[in-house]
Amino acid sequence: MRFVLPKGRLFKGSLEILRKAGIELKPPENRELMVKNGRYELLLARAFDVPVYVEYGIDVGIAGSDVVEERESDVLVPLELPFGKCRLSLAMPKENAVSVEEMDGFRIATKYPNLAKKFFERRGVEVEVIKLHGSIELAPKIGIADAIVDIVETGNTLRANGLVEVEKIMDVSALLLVNRISQKTKFKEINELVLKIKEVVKDES
Amino acid sequence: MKKDLFSESERLADITKSLRRTFELWGYREVFLPTIEEFSEQLRKGTKFAYNNEFYVIKPDLTSQILANLKEPRKLKLYYISEVLNGGIRGEWQAGVEFIGGEDIKMQVEVLLTVITSLEALGIEDFYIDVGSLKVWERAIEGIEEFKAEIFKALTRRNFEIIERLPINEEKKEELWQLFNFRGKSCEYEKLNKIIDAVGDERVFIDFGTIRPLPYYSDVIFEVYSPKIGKPLGGGGEYTFKGVSAFGFAFDLNALSKLFDGKIEKSRKKIRGELKEAYKLARELVKLGIPVEVGE
Repeated sequence: MRFVLPKGRLFKGSLEILRKAGIELKPPENRELMVKNGRYELLLARAFDVPVYVEYGIDVGIAGSDVVEERESDVLVPLELPFGKCRLSLAMPKENAVSVEEMDGFRIATKYPNLAKKFFERRGVEVEVIKLHGSIELAPKIGIADAIVDIVETGNTLRANGLVEVEKIMDVSALLLVNRISQKTKFKEINELVLKIKEVVKDES
Repeated sequence: MKKDLFSESERLADITKSLRRTFELWGYREVFLPTIEEFSEQLRKGTKFAYNNEFYVIKPDLTSQILANLKEPRKLKLYYISEVLNGGIRGEWQAGVEFIGGEDIKMQVEVLLTVITSLEALGIEDFYIDVGSLKVWERAIEGIEEFKAEIFKALTRRNFEIIERLPINEEKKEELWQLFNFRGKSCEYEKLNKIIDAVGDERVFIDFGTIRPLPYYSDVIFEVYSPKIGKPLGGGGEYTFKGVSAFGFAFDLNALSKLFDGKIEKSRKKIRGELKEAYKLARELVKLGIPVEVGE
């Protein structure tokens, strides 16, 4: 069975929950991106690419719900996992803060262009969305965007950059992903894994 | 499409030539549809654009495009090979058939056999077909219809937690859990049993966890897949058009291309078993123009 896990903020939690469910995956010692662990194989990918790997054939993955929704990947999501909790929010410089309805014509910087576009479409507000790959908070500071759509955990990064949260777009949590075909061809193995992880989640809550 | 358009084209030419042949052997006629349609709510997918203050759609979903062009329902057996866009500029190539206005059960059996024989003619034998039913689920949620949206969301994501959180009794949850995991050759729904029995192929299963989240399907749905690749090879289902029932499916040509070994010659149907039965089948296949090889 092949697992793909995201490098970064969800990595530790992902290894931990799989370990508790009886799947010991050793993180690579050097800069390798693929490690064999007996019957299991571990792949490391960028958080944004995990759902894509699972959609295209890796059996199991763990990714944030923000990324899964943004990528609109055709994957199965049998479980919500109890870590990686945060929220996707709309934020803007404190001194210019306005409501969503007053944002017509605004330029929005984000790593999540799909989710941002959908959010404003639902509210009937026309904005221009520009995609950035990181340090989103910088964009309104130097004036290339009026507001941002980004992940908020504690709010410290926003505050440090003079931004305030205008509205929460969605709650985010880590999710267990399963490839649609693996669910059929490895039915028993995958069902067992899902049930074991489910027990771990239950015990912890 | 691949970066090397021309070598990929050669493969697709071989694949589509074989598919056209099989589809035509089963009596389907190719349909040629315009690249651009005037926008209508009926059309799914495609890429929208505005021209001269009017809205248009480029390369929409073929089933929806065929239905949008069909004024009155009548018996039709059509096939298409076309690119489908989904909001962007790069699309997916599909080959599919639509059987409109046929007899219930017969239509489903025939389309499933078209899928099987199409793959076999390409030399692809390592595949499975999972057949599900929306009616079985609708029946299962009778009395708790207010949770239909959540239950179908749970099904498409295969997330039973969504159902567990609903305020419905444990007995019902257990019943849904059983359906969720049902996989076999016969079930309580006679219509599916008849279809599976008439198709008579060991690679076809009943699987109620198989849900294709398309709005127009009315009952029987199926998905074709191979353990060799992580994406479905295609799928289809039953729908109703102006009171007439229809059944269709589409292959993802990119997925077929990954499995196709490039040698049509190898696509000889290998037949094994008791001498008389094996040759009876071989004779039928040869009559249909399918190369055969009767093995030991």
